[in-house]
Amino acid sequence: MSNALALRSASESARWRTVDIVVVALIALAFGVVFYAWSTYVWVWLQPLGTPWEYIISGVWLMPAVVAPLVVRKPGAALFAELVAAIVAVLLGSQWGLDTLLSGFVQGAGAELVFGFAMYRRFGVVVACIAGLGAGVGEAIHDIPIYFATSSGTVQAGIAALEILSGGLVAGIGGWLLVRALRRTGALQAFPADQ
Amino acid sequence: MSLQTSPLEAVRPAFLTRVTPVARLVAGMAWLVTAILTLDPIVPLRLAIVAVIALALWSGLPLRRIPRRLAPLGFAIVSLTVFSILLGASNSDRSLVALIEVGPIRITGAAVSAGLSIGLRVVVIGLTTLLVFGPSDPTRMADSLVQQWHAPDRFAYGTLGALRLAPQMADDWAAISAARRLRGIGSDGPASRARDLADRLLVMLVAAIRGAERLALAMDARGFDSGLRRSHFRELRVGWRDWLTIGFALALAIAALALPR
Repeated sequence: MSNALALRSASESARWRTVDIVVVALIALAFGVVFYAWSTYVWVWLQPLGTPWEYIISGVWLMPAVVAPLVVRKPGAALFAELVAAIVAVLLGSQWGLDTLLSGFVQGAGAELVFGFAMYRRFGVVVACIAGLGAGVGEAIHDIPIYFATSSGTVQAGIAALEILSGGLVAGIGGWLLVRALRRTGALQAFPADQ
Repeated sequence: MSLQTSPLEAVRPAFLTRVTPVARLVAGMAWLVTAILTLDPIVPLRLAIVAVIALALWSGLPLRRIPRRLAPLGFAIVSLTVFSILLGASNSDRSLVALIEVGPIRITGAAVSAGLSIGLRVVVIGLTTLLVFGPSDPTRMADSLVQQWHAPDRFAYGTLGALRLAPQMADDWAAISAARRLRGIGSDGPASRARDLADRLLVMLVAAIRGAERLALAMDARGFDSGLRRSHFRELRVGWRDWLTIGFALALAIAALALPR
């Protein structure tokens, strides 16, 4: 494929169709519903471990930021998905609502930057993993000054490391595996991810 | 599982229900930033007290429901406060007097004060969230974002259309769980639970994508993506109430920061 043709198709595919908008919102909603239902179980077996260890699974909360862009492959998908996820959290009655808008924004931006650096052309497992790490960095940038400002540097570094690692593994690689499984079900036929 | 969508609670008309959602959002964000700016517990405490008064007088939310809605935050408030106090950076500062010293555990007054400020931050976040999102439904929030902040309307109303499916998604989740139980697919132990979550997530996502395709088709059939300029069914106007709310919130935030203790 010539370079000019590639550029043209890239700019055309940058436009969001109605189905792209709705599917990103519904992916965020689906995750919201699942998290809501699962938080009871997850809490039960993480509570004894104490607050910091829950960050091992914190990457689960970053999944929309990776899964949505992998499906629709549009600029802005990560940011949009995380903002919708924040709104869904408010709808489900989360009292973190206002702060979720902030954290959703930085987490989405972290993943968005990575997909942007890949020119919205590469959506393989490596880019997905780095995007997950990026979302984790955003999460750490938000959480450390707001919830762990008074803790010692070692604790802060430990929490940040867990969040970033979990972002890369759970959200990045886990999200990529989910999208691959989705493609195999044939559900992605209307989207560029179906290749 | 029941999902309440718009509106979150039945509200009676009150001052804040007549303020446009974007103005409430600005006021709420100002408070959030104020609570984050400082490690002095008196600042979030002052904001929390004013927020409770505002909730009672101006939000229109039924008062007896408020404690129940804030209850999920209780655990986070307690655990974050305890965690911050125990692992506070100032505990290892030998120049400070220790309040408690038992074996390796040493707690200073500075750490207790800082820990309380973190816990109170979460209280302010919870109360402000109720003040911002409680008095009106997501539809009005979308209207307000589009008309006042000129958010892209296709995105705002597309999201709103998708959010309408929340109760259906909750039903889907219940159906998936019931079907798996019926087929005897259970889970025990963390690894198997993680696997189980991934399996169910996949089915949920398939349902979400199918739902999105049908909804988008229906919306496009009604000219959602026609490219014509959209007019507004509910016109929102910025009035004195909006400016009063933002001004009042800013004044209180500055007062909370600046007043002597």
